Amino acid sequence: MIKTSFWKLGTAGLVMAGLAGGASAADKPLAGVTLTLASQNDQYAPVIAKLAPKFEEATGAKVKVDILDYGSLLTKTQADFVGDTKSYDLVTMDIVWAGQYADNKYTVDLTDWIKRDAAEMQLDDIYPAMIKYIGQYDGKQVAFPFAGYAAVLAYRKDLLDAAGLKVPETAEDFVTTAIKLTNPDKKTYGFVANGQKGPAVAQDWLQYNAQLGGSVLDASGKPAINSEANINSLKVYKELFDKAAPPGAVDYDWGGREESFRQGLAAMMETWSVGAPGYYDPSMSKVVDTVAITTTPVAKGLPVKYGLGGWGMGINADIDPAQQEAAWQFIKWLTSPEVQKELNLEGAGSYIRKSTLADPDLNKKFPFLPVLAKSFENADGDYRPRIPQYPEIQDLLGTAVNAVLVGGVEPKAALDEVQEKAAKLF
Amino acid sequence: MTTTSVGSIDLAPSRASGLRFSDRRKLFLVALALPAILYVVLVAVWPLAQGIWYSFFDYNLLRGGGRRTFVGLDNYIALWADATARRAVINTFLFTFGAVTLEFVIGLGLALLLWRDGRFNRICLAFLLIPVTITPIVVGLIFRALLAVDYGFFGYYLAEWGISGPRGFLANTTTALPVVILIDVWEWTPLVALILLAGLKSLPTDILEAAAADGATALQRFRMVVLPLLLPTVFLALVLRVMDAFRVFDIIFVTTGGGPADATTSLMLYGVKQGLEFFNIGFASAIGNLTILCIALMCAVFTLLIRRADVRANER
Repeated sequence: MIKTSFWKLGTAGLVMAGLAGGASAADKPLAGVTLTLASQNDQYAPVIAKLAPKFEEATGAKVKVDILDYGSLLTKTQADFVGDTKSYDLVTMDIVWAGQYADNKYTVDLTDWIKRDAAEMQLDDIYPAMIKYIGQYDGKQVAFPFAGYAAVLAYRKDLLDAAGLKVPETAEDFVTTAIKLTNPDKKTYGFVANGQKGPAVAQDWLQYNAQLGGSVLDASGKPAINSEANINSLKVYKELFDKAAPPGAVDYDWGGREESFRQGLAAMMETWSVGAPGYYDPSMSKVVDTVAITTTPVAKGLPVKYGLGGWGMGINADIDPAQQEAAWQFIKWLTSPEVQKELNLEGAGSYIRKSTLADPDLNKKFPFLPVLAKSFENADGDYRPRIPQYPEIQDLLGTAVNAVLVGGVEPKAALDEVQEKAAKLF
Repeated sequence: MTTTSVGSIDLAPSRASGLRFSDRRKLFLVALALPAILYVVLVAVWPLAQGIWYSFFDYNLLRGGGRRTFVGLDNYIALWADATARRAVINTFLFTFGAVTLEFVIGLGLALLLWRDGRFNRICLAFLLIPVTITPIVVGLIFRALLAVDYGFFGYYLAEWGISGPRGFLANTTTALPVVILIDVWEWTPLVALILLAGLKSLPTDILEAAAADGATALQRFRMVVLPLLLPTVFLALVLRVMDAFRVFDIIFVTTGGGPADATTSLMLYGVKQGLEFFNIGFASAIGNLTILCIALMCAVFTLLIRRADVRANER
C-alpha cells in the first residue's frame, strides 16, 4: 500500500517538476544561474539564507549564502578580489570598507544602475544617509545598503527610576549618571562597553569619541589622532571603565557586552540597534520588561548627530556581466520594501527604508523603531573614517585604547604613538 | 656492508647504455626520491624563497594596486624600529623559554614517576595524554571561559577572593603572559613526559643495576648515570618543543588576542595580522623570516648538543 502511494507521489512529483521546468524557461529569466554570497554572520545572514528560495521562485536564480565571521569574511573576500578567483558573486561590505573597495575597484560601480532603476527601487523611500555612507566613496557606489544600524542608547528604566535619575540627554550627563548608578556590592554597573584589544575596543571608543567631540581625521582628511578632544574623550572612556563598568568589561567584545546587558549587569549601554530585538526576547534576556531604547547622548553644544553603521551588498567586479546583472537583480529584490519588511519581521534588525520603520506590524513587534528613524535622519557614518587606511588605524587604536584601560598607559602617550604610526600610512 | 653486496653485483657486465651500475643505481635512487624532492621544493623551498624575496619589497595587496617596490632591507629596519615588533620578539622568547623550561622540569618528574612499568602507571599515562589530543584553539577557548571573571569556574572565585584582581589574570598586563605560558604547559607537558619516558625505558638496565650494586644513592644514580645517558632524548624533546612554542599562535589568539595592550603579542600573531589582515606582504614576510631564523639558530644549537651528547653517551 505504502509502496504504491510512494510511487504515485514520485510520478506526480516528476510531472510537476517537468511542468515547472517548462514554465521557468519562459518566465524565469535567471533560471540556471547560481549566485554565491559571502555574508557577515550578523542577524540578517540566516534570514537572507532562509528567504533566498523565494528569490529563486521569482527569478530562477539560486542563491548560496556562505555565512562567515568578520575576520574570515574580510580575509576570504580580500583574497578572492586580489586573486581574481571569482569565488563570490556578492559580498556583504561593512560600512568602513568603502574606501578600500573604491580604491582597489573590487566591486562594480552601481551608480548607473541605481539611476536606471531608481523608480523601480523606490529610491526616495530609502534614507539618503544609507546610500551616502554605506557604499558611496569618491564618487563611486561600491555597494548598495541593505542593513542600516543606528548607534542607540539602551538603558534600564527600573534602575534609573530607583535612583531618581533621568535618561541622560548629553554626553556629560551620561558619565555622571553611569557613575551614580554603579554599585559593585550589588553587582550593578552604570555602563558597559567593549574593552577588548582590537576592533572591539576601537569601535566602541570611536562612538564615545564622536559624541564627545573627537575625530580621527582633521578637516583636511589627515590623521589628527592625538588632538586635545580625542585625548579628553579617552580620559573619559577610561574613567567610565574604572568607575562604572563591570570589571570584566576590559575584555568584552560585542558578544560579551550584549550578554552582560541582557543578564542585567549594566544599567546603560550604547550599542548597535541590531542587537535590540534580543533585549525583548525572554529566551535570552532578563531585562525584557525593564529595557528601553533611545538616541545616543551628544556633548553640550555639539551638532546633534547619531552614529550610523551597517552593511552594503557589493558585486564582485571580476565576474562576467550577465552574472553581475543577475547579482544586481538580487540586490534590488533584497532591498525592495516587501522583502525588507519580511527580513525584519524575522528579526534581522536591518533597516534602510522609511516605510519599513513606519510599518505598523513591525512597530508592534519592535517598539523602538521611531528611535531608529530619528537617528537615521541625522546620521553620521563617518565617525569611523571610511578611508582605505581604516583597518590599520582601527588596529592601532584597538591596542592603544586597551593599553590605556588596562596597561596604565597615559591617554596622551598612547594617542601620540598612534598618531606617529598612522601618519606613515598616508 | 651495503657496499660489499652492491660491489658483488657490480661485477656483472654493464649494459649498452655505457653507464656503470653504480651510476645507474644512483640515478634510480634519485628517480625514486624525485616525487618527494619535487614535493618539498613546491611546498617548502619555493614558498620559503618567495617569502625571502618578498621581504625586500614594499608590497601591499590593498594599496597601490598591488605594485611591488624594491626597498632593500627597509622592512627589516622597520621591524627593528617598530615597538610592537620588538615587544613581540621579547614575548616570543619569554613564552618559549618559560613554557619549555616548565614543561621539561615537570615532564621529567612525571617521566621518572611513571618509569616503572605497571598497570597503574600505564593507566596514568593514558590519562595524562588527554591534553595533547585537544586542539590548541579549543584549549584556549576552554581556559578563556574558565578564567572569565563574570562566569568562569576559576576566574570568578579568583577575582572574588582578591587573588587575580577584579579584572582577572588575562586582562592584566603583568599576569597575562605567565597565564598563557601555563596554558601551554598544561597542554604540552605530557608530550615531553612521554618522550622522556621513552628515553628512560630504552636505558640499559645493567648499568643502572651496577650503579645500585656499587652503592650509589638514587640521587647519584640519577645525576651521574641516568641524566647523561638520557641527554640525547632530552635535547630531542627540547628541540621539538622549542620549535613548536616559538611559533605559538592559536592559544594566544583565542585567549588574549595578543593583549592586553601588547602584553602577549607573539611574532606569529603579529605576522598573521600584517599578512592576512592588512595584506602587508613585504613586512609580514620579514616577520616570518625572522621567526624562521630564530628557530633555525636554536635548532642548530640543539642539534649540536644532541650530537655531542650522543658521542659522549656512546663513549661511556
